[in-house]
Amino acid sequence: MLLTLSWLVPLLGALVLLCVGNRDGRRDALVRWLSLAVTLATFAVTLVIWARFDAASPEFQFVERHAWIPAFGIDYFIGIDGISLLLVVLTAFLSPIALLSSWGSIERKVKEFSIFMLALEAAMIGVFVSLDLFLFYVFWDAMLVPMYFLIGIWGYDQRIYAAVKFMLYTMAGSVLMLVAILGLAYLHSAATGTYSFDLLKLYTLDIAPQTQMWFFLAFTVAFAIKVPLFPFHTWLPDAHVQAPTAGSVILAGVLLKMGTYGLLRFSFPLFPEAAAYFAPGLALLAVIGIVYGALVAMVQPDMKKLVAYSSVSHLGFVVLGICAMNMQGVQGALYQMLAHGVSTGGLFLLVGMLSDRRHTRLISEFGGLKAVMPRLTAAFMIITLASIGLPGLNGFVGEFLIMLGAFRWDPRFVVVAGLGVILSAVYMLWMFQRVYYGPVTHEENAALPDLRPREWAAVVPLCAVAVVMGVFPTLFLKPMEASVNAVVQRVQVAQTLRAERP
Amino acid sequence: MIPLGHYLIVSAMLFAIGTAGVFLRRNLITILLSIEIMLNAVNLSFVAFGRQFGSVDGQIIVFFVMTVAAAEAAVGLAIVIALFRHRESLNPDAFTSLKW
Amino acid sequence: MFSSGIDAVVPMLCVTLAALAVMGAEAFRARGEQLPLGGLGVVGLVGAAISAVLLWNRNAVSFGVVVADNFGLFVTLVLLLVALLTIMFSSTVVRRDGLPAGEYYALVLFATAGMIMMATANDLLVVFIALEILSIAVYVLTGIRRDDSRAIEAAFKYFLLGAFSSAFFLYGIAFTYGLAGSTRLDRVGTYMAAQSMSGNPLILVALGLLLVGFAFKISAVPFHMWTPDAYEGAPAVVTGFMSTGVKAAAFAAFARVFLSVFEPFSGEWAPLVWLLAAATMILGTVVGVAQSNLKRMLAYSSIAHGGYLLVGLVAANQVGKAAILFYLLAYAVTNLAAFGVIALLGTREAANDELRDYAGLWHTRPALAALMTVCLLSLGGLPPTAGFIGKWYIFSAAVSAGYYGLAVIGVLTSVVSVFFYLRVVVMMYMTDRPAAIAPPPVSAVAMAALVASIAAIIALGILPTPVLDFAAQSIATIF
Repeated sequence: MLLTLSWLVPLLGALVLLCVGNRDGRRDALVRWLSLAVTLATFAVTLVIWARFDAASPEFQFVERHAWIPAFGIDYFIGIDGISLLLVVLTAFLSPIALLSSWGSIERKVKEFSIFMLALEAAMIGVFVSLDLFLFYVFWDAMLVPMYFLIGIWGYDQRIYAAVKFMLYTMAGSVLMLVAILGLAYLHSAATGTYSFDLLKLYTLDIAPQTQMWFFLAFTVAFAIKVPLFPFHTWLPDAHVQAPTAGSVILAGVLLKMGTYGLLRFSFPLFPEAAAYFAPGLALLAVIGIVYGALVAMVQPDMKKLVAYSSVSHLGFVVLGICAMNMQGVQGALYQMLAHGVSTGGLFLLVGMLSDRRHTRLISEFGGLKAVMPRLTAAFMIITLASIGLPGLNGFVGEFLIMLGAFRWDPRFVVVAGLGVILSAVYMLWMFQRVYYGPVTHEENAALPDLRPREWAAVVPLCAVAVVMGVFPTLFLKPMEASVNAVVQRVQVAQTLRAERP
Repeated sequence: MIPLGHYLIVSAMLFAIGTAGVFLRRNLITILLSIEIMLNAVNLSFVAFGRQFGSVDGQIIVFFVMTVAAAEAAVGLAIVIALFRHRESLNPDAFTSLKW
Repeated sequence: MFSSGIDAVVPMLCVTLAALAVMGAEAFRARGEQLPLGGLGVVGLVGAAISAVLLWNRNAVSFGVVVADNFGLFVTLVLLLVALLTIMFSSTVVRRDGLPAGEYYALVLFATAGMIMMATANDLLVVFIALEILSIAVYVLTGIRRDDSRAIEAAFKYFLLGAFSSAFFLYGIAFTYGLAGSTRLDRVGTYMAAQSMSGNPLILVALGLLLVGFAFKISAVPFHMWTPDAYEGAPAVVTGFMSTGVKAAAFAAFARVFLSVFEPFSGEWAPLVWLLAAATMILGTVVGVAQSNLKRMLAYSSIAHGGYLLVGLVAANQVGKAAILFYLLAYAVTNLAAFGVIALLGTREAANDELRDYAGLWHTRPALAALMTVCLLSLGGLPPTAGFIGKWYIFSAAVSAGYYGLAVIGVLTSVVSVFFYLRVVVMMYMTDRPAAIAPPPVSAVAMAALVASIAAIIALGILPTPVLDFAAQSIATIF
C-alpha cells in the first residue's frame, strides 16, 4: 500500500487541485502551498519506504499485485528493488524543489501548472515502480502528456516546436517498444498458454537469439531516445532550453534517467544474448556522446544549452557503465544517475534563477556576479564542481566506478571517456569563470538580488545532498548492491549458458 | 432456352456500361441514370440465377431492389434539385467548394 | 421459414416506432409549438437498449434473417449509445441552426434502426436493405441545412458514391446468390465451406465485389474519396453520427460476412485486406497532417481508424474479433465527443471549424478545451484513455497472429496522427491570440453528454476489464 501511495498521493493532489476554484488566479498562493505540501508528503512516503527497505535482499520489495485485465494476464503489479528505490526517492526529492523554483517564474495559470507537475510526478514514480510491462508502458506514455503541456504552455519562445518535437521523438521510440512488449506477451502465451506482462515471468522466458535482436532493438531505441544516446539526442537541447525551469529540472533530473533505468531493467536482463551482441556498439555511441556532448557544450553561448549538452555527455557515462555489465560499472551507472539528477537539476535551477532575474541566459550577458550575489555564486560553485566530478562531491563516485567497471570490460572506451571528464571540467569551469568572475560588465547586473529565502529552500537541500553523496557514498551504494548484483548475475549467467548452447 | 451464361454476360455488360457512365458523363441526371442501369443489371442477374435454381427468390429480391432503388432515386433527385438551386449547374466539375 | 417470434427485431422496432412517433408529432403539431422531439427519440433508444440487454445470451432469431446474437447486440448497444449522444448534442444545434426538428430526429432514428438491422442481419439481402435505409437517411441528414451550399454538395457527393458502391455490393450479393442459391448467411456459409477447395473463380468475383462494397462504406483507401468531402460539408453533429454509427454498422456486417461466411477463403481475402488496412492507415494519417480544417482532419483521422479496425479483421483470431468490438466502442465515444465539441463551438453563421478558430480556446472555454484534449489524446492512443486500450488490443491481435508488419505500420502511423492531433492542442493551449469567436452558451444537455463521454473514455482507459470481457463473450457465440 505504501508504494501505491507514492504515486497515488501526487495524483490525488492533482485531482484536488482540479477542484480548487481558481478562475482568475486569486488563489495562486493556496494552490502553490497545496501542491508543495503534496510533493513533500510524497517525499515523506518515499523516505519511509527507504527506511523500511531491506538492503540485504535482492528481491523486489513492497510488492503489490492485483489482477487488472485478467484476459491478457495484465496485473497491477508494482514493487521496488535497490535499483528503483533511490530513483523513486530522487523523483520525490526533486519535485518539491522544482515546484519551489516555479514560484518566482510562473505567474499565469498557476493552478494548471501545478496540476501538470503533480501528474508528471505521479507518472514518473509509476514508471519506476511498475513491474508489469503494460503498467510500465501506461505510465511511460502518460508521462509525456503533462511534460508536453509544461513545455508548450510555460516555456520560452520556441516552446511549441520543442514540445511537439519532444512528444513525437519519445512516442516514435516508445511505440516500437509497444510492439515488442506485445511480442513478448505473445511469446509467453506461445510457451505457457497464457498471456503475461509480468516482468519476473518474462525474465525466465527463453527467447530465440534472432527474436532477441529485434526486441532488444525495439526496447533500446525507445530508451536511447529518452537517455538520449548520441544520434537520438536532438530533441534534448530544444526541450531543455525551451522548458520552464521546473520542467528542465524534472527533465534533466528524472526523465532522462528513465532511459538508462529502462536499459538496466528491461533491455539487458530480458534479452541478455542480444545485449552481449549490441553492448560494444551501444558503448561506442555512448563514448561518442560523451565527447560530442562535451565539445558542443563548450561552444554554447547559452547557459541552459550548455547544461543540456553536458547532460548528453554525462548520460553517456551511465550507458557506458551499463554496457560494461559488471558490478562496478552498473553500480557506478546507477550512482551517476542519482548524482546527475541532483547536480544537473541544481544547475538548471540556478541558471533558471539567473534567467528569472535578467531574462536572458546568454553567458556574455553576465560577468562578475561573484561580487553581486555571493551566495548564489557559492551554491553554483558547489554544484558545478559536483557536476565535474570533484572528489568529495557526488559526481566523482559514479564516474570513478564507471571507469573502473568499463576498464575491466574494455579499456579502449575508458580512454575516450576519460577525455570527456577533462573536457567537462573545461566547459563547466569556463562558464563559471565567465559568469561569476571578472568585473561586472553589464550595469543591469550590478544590482541583482541574491538568493531569496524561497530560493534558499530549493538550493540548500541540493547542495547538501551533493556533499553527502560525495562523502558517504556507502549510504547510497549499500541499498543498490544486492539488486545490482542480481541483475549482473542474471545477465552473465544467461549469456554464458547460451554461449555453451550448441 | 437461352443459357444462364448469356444473361450473365448481358448483365455484366450493362453493369460495365453503367459504371462507365458514372465516370464519364458530365451531367448529374445522366449519372443518376447510369447508377440505375447498374442496379438493373444486377436485377437481371438475380432473375437469371433465380430461374436457374427454379425458385422465385431471385424475382422477389428484385422487388426489394426496385423499391430501394426508387427510394434512392427520389432522395438523389431531391439532392440534385437542391444543388442546382445553389449552383445553377448540373455539371459535377462545377462542384468544387469542397476539395473533390 | 419463420422461426420463433419477433424477439430479435424488438430493438430496431423500438427505434423505428420512436421515429414514426417523432414524424407524427411533427406532422400534427400546431404552428410554432415546440415539442420535445429529441426526448421522444431518447425514450425509444432507451427502450431499445433495455430490450437489447434482455435479449443478451438468448440468440433470438426472427424470420430467419435477423439474429440477435451477442455480437449483434454488442454493436446494437454501441449504436444506441451513438444515437443517444447524437441526439443530446443535437438539441443545441437544431435550435441554433433552425433545422427542421421533426425531420432531423426522425432521420437520425431511422438511420439508427437501419444500422441496428445491419448489425444483426443474417441475410445478405437484409444487409443490403439495412445499408440503404441507413444510407438514405444519412444522405438527407448530410444535406439537412439546405441554405448551406457546401452541405448540399457534400450530400450529393456522398449520395453519388454511396449509390455507386451499393451497386457493387448488390452485384456481389447477386453472384453469391447465384452460387449458393440463397442469400441467407448460414446457407451461404455451408456452401462456401464445401467449396473451399474448388477454386471456382465466381466465388472470388463475389468476394471481390462484396469487399469493394464494404470498403466504400467503411471508407477504406482507395475507396475513401467521398469521406473527407462528406464529413467536412455535413453539420458537425451529423458528421459525428455518420463517422461512428455508419462505420460501426458497416464493420459489424463486414466482420460477420467475412469472418463467418467467407472464412474458408481467408487465404484469398486476408492479403487484400492487409493491403487495404496498411494503405488506409498510412494515407489517412499522412494526408491528415496537411489539413487545416478540423472536420476534414478528423475525417482523415477516421479513415485511419478504419484502418486500425481492418487490422483486427486481418488478424481474425479471437483477440482480433473482440478487439474490433472494443475498438468500435472506444472510437465511437471518442469521435462523437470530438465532433460534439466542434458542433457546440459553431454558430448559425459560421461553422468555426477551421484550425485557427481554435486559437486560445483554453482562455475562453477552458472546459471545452480540456474535453477536446482528452478526445484527441484518446484518438491518438495515449493512456489512460479508451483509445489507448483499443489500440493495444488491436495490435496485440495483430502480433499474436504474426502480423508484425501491420502492427509496426499501425503504431508508426499513430505517432504521425498524434502530430496532427497535437496541432489542435497547440492551437487551443499554446497560441496566445484570444479566440475571435464568442461561442454561444452550451446547453446543459449537450454538456452532460460531453462530460459523460469523457468520463466513459477515461473509465474505459483505466478499467477496461468489464467491457473487454463483454466483448470477448460477444464473439464467443458466432465465430
